[in-house]
Amino acid sequence: MSAQLVIETQALSKVFGNQKALDAVSLAVAPGAIGLLGPNGAGKTTFIKCLLQLQPVSSGSAKLLGREVGAEGREIRKRVGYTPELDCHIPGMAGCEYVTYCAQLCGLPFQAARQRTHEMLDFVGMGQERYRKIDTYSTGMKQRLKLAQAIVHDPEIVFLDEPANGLDPKGQAQILELVQNLWRAYGITVVLSSHMLHDVEQICEQIIIIARGRVLVHDSLANLKASRRGAAEVVVAGRHEDLQAACARRRWPCELLPSGHLKVAHGSQSLNPLLNLLHEIKLAPLEIIPSPNALEETFLQALEISHATA
Amino acid sequence: MPLHDVSYKHYDGARLGVWRRRAAIAKNGLTACLQIRWMTIPVVLCWSLGLVAAVILFLVGQLLVPDSAMSQWVSTFVSPTLQQFASLLITWLKNHPDISVKTTQSVLFYYLGLWLMRISIFALGPIIPLLITRDLACNAIVIYSSKAVTRGDYLLGKFATAFGFLALTWLGPVCAAWFLGNLLAPDWSFFWHARFALGNILICGFSSMTVLSALALGVSAFSPNEKSTTAFWYIWWILGAVITPIALHTQPWLRLLGFGFNLNQIALYTFRVGENITRAKDNIPVLGTMLGRIRPETMAALDTPHLGGAIAALLIMVIGAAWIVHKRVKPE
Repeated sequence: MSAQLVIETQALSKVFGNQKALDAVSLAVAPGAIGLLGPNGAGKTTFIKCLLQLQPVSSGSAKLLGREVGAEGREIRKRVGYTPELDCHIPGMAGCEYVTYCAQLCGLPFQAARQRTHEMLDFVGMGQERYRKIDTYSTGMKQRLKLAQAIVHDPEIVFLDEPANGLDPKGQAQILELVQNLWRAYGITVVLSSHMLHDVEQICEQIIIIARGRVLVHDSLANLKASRRGAAEVVVAGRHEDLQAACARRRWPCELLPSGHLKVAHGSQSLNPLLNLLHEIKLAPLEIIPSPNALEETFLQALEISHATA
Repeated sequence: MPLHDVSYKHYDGARLGVWRRRAAIAKNGLTACLQIRWMTIPVVLCWSLGLVAAVILFLVGQLLVPDSAMSQWVSTFVSPTLQQFASLLITWLKNHPDISVKTTQSVLFYYLGLWLMRISIFALGPIIPLLITRDLACNAIVIYSSKAVTRGDYLLGKFATAFGFLALTWLGPVCAAWFLGNLLAPDWSFFWHARFALGNILICGFSSMTVLSALALGVSAFSPNEKSTTAFWYIWWILGAVITPIALHTQPWLRLLGFGFNLNQIALYTFRVGENITRAKDNIPVLGTMLGRIRPETMAALDTPHLGGAIAALLIMVIGAAWIVHKRVKPE
């Protein structure tokens, strides 16, 4: 089982001064498109940097692609790609020179590096601008270039730290589509770190939600979306009392919210029992708002934790 | 719509070892250095000086050939004093080739090396930011650290960049001058007699270039500001050169603060310049008269280099540079 895991951590901790950026993170992650979700400052980037040895770990242990982080850093990074959140380009180089150089740093011979550079720049959708100096690139071009340098050596896993930052909606969609294809079409495990729920939801199959350096949840997207508390808000034009009485008969807690909506805890994943009840008492609701699924709820919880800390 | 296949392709070709990756860092650095527009000037100047040294050795060698154009020119056009000098030099060269070739070449290559070192130190100024400074400024360290190279690999590559540049402007021209000068000599035995000079060139060149490269890395890692690191390099060098003559009459140890002075002491010791000049003075009377004009304190400085102090000072400087690099070159 362990051989199939791409990331394994045991009580991984990172402390900056008296602040815990990672608090005993223990994870076992299988290959796939993995979303690392959390508000800004949650510890996502620190987690990635600890795995890549860009940050020394304070305590705990980690394995990446089955190898011990810390003992086999160089060998691990040969098989790993990384797009940092901030721009880290070498000034004065043209785009294709830069990507070729990055490929050489991963051990590709010059000719192969150059050929793959052009293939990857084609893949990320860069045209003739690849021959221009990086200093003249727009944010979108830089994000594409970052992706190209991360995959030029054909890694087994790619860490993408906020790859859609600073892009317009069209650019975001294009980058996310490329990232999505990496796993779905080419089998490269993708770890997408983002504070945007929508981005992660769109392309990831596994979700890890982090807040204040702790993992709140790690599950598949399907499970998280399917799982929700058995409650719903019912909007009715009148006859609140009838619905409250019917709920009381079934021993369902029912609460009148300040908005005038009735919050009914029907205790089921499905809305069917609630719909049946409404049918029985012949009450036509104006709207039924199901409770948020576990993904949304945990993300909101992460945001609340983050705000509370701030 | 692209006309060619733009899909992702897996790579199943060869992957090179860590030394090739280090070499890639060094090559990339050297390319960037040589892309500085005016950098061709010091490089050409250094090689020209090397060529001049080779020509001098060729001309000296030609003096030994009885019917050569050089010996005819000396006997026809040159002043009687110089003719006398030439004939004594020839006699000395013929009678004691082992000592005379060693002496002349040691002195010549010491002075050639001294000038090439000065030009190289000057040319290193604009190169300093390209070593580490720029990577610190633009956070490129993160990219290196995320690839299949360690911090040690990165530093080795950068060290090789500085060392490679110095080899191009310093050791390369001196070695080329040695080889060309002896190749054009009238006798193959010149190569044998000049072996000590070559040994001195290599010992002095490699040790000095190692120290200079380490210092250059330290200065480069000192700040992420390109202008600051270049300015620091020049100020340190110039200040050291200015202090040297002043400190001689006040606090002699102050001279050890300049790396140029220390490197010169190592060169003086390696090439035994004072000893060689004295030997030449003793064997060629005309030269003795000329060299007799050298001031006694200069002669004393040439004779007794402060090797221990210079090595200790350079060692402290290199340790300091290593400490700066250790503190500054981190991904975050």
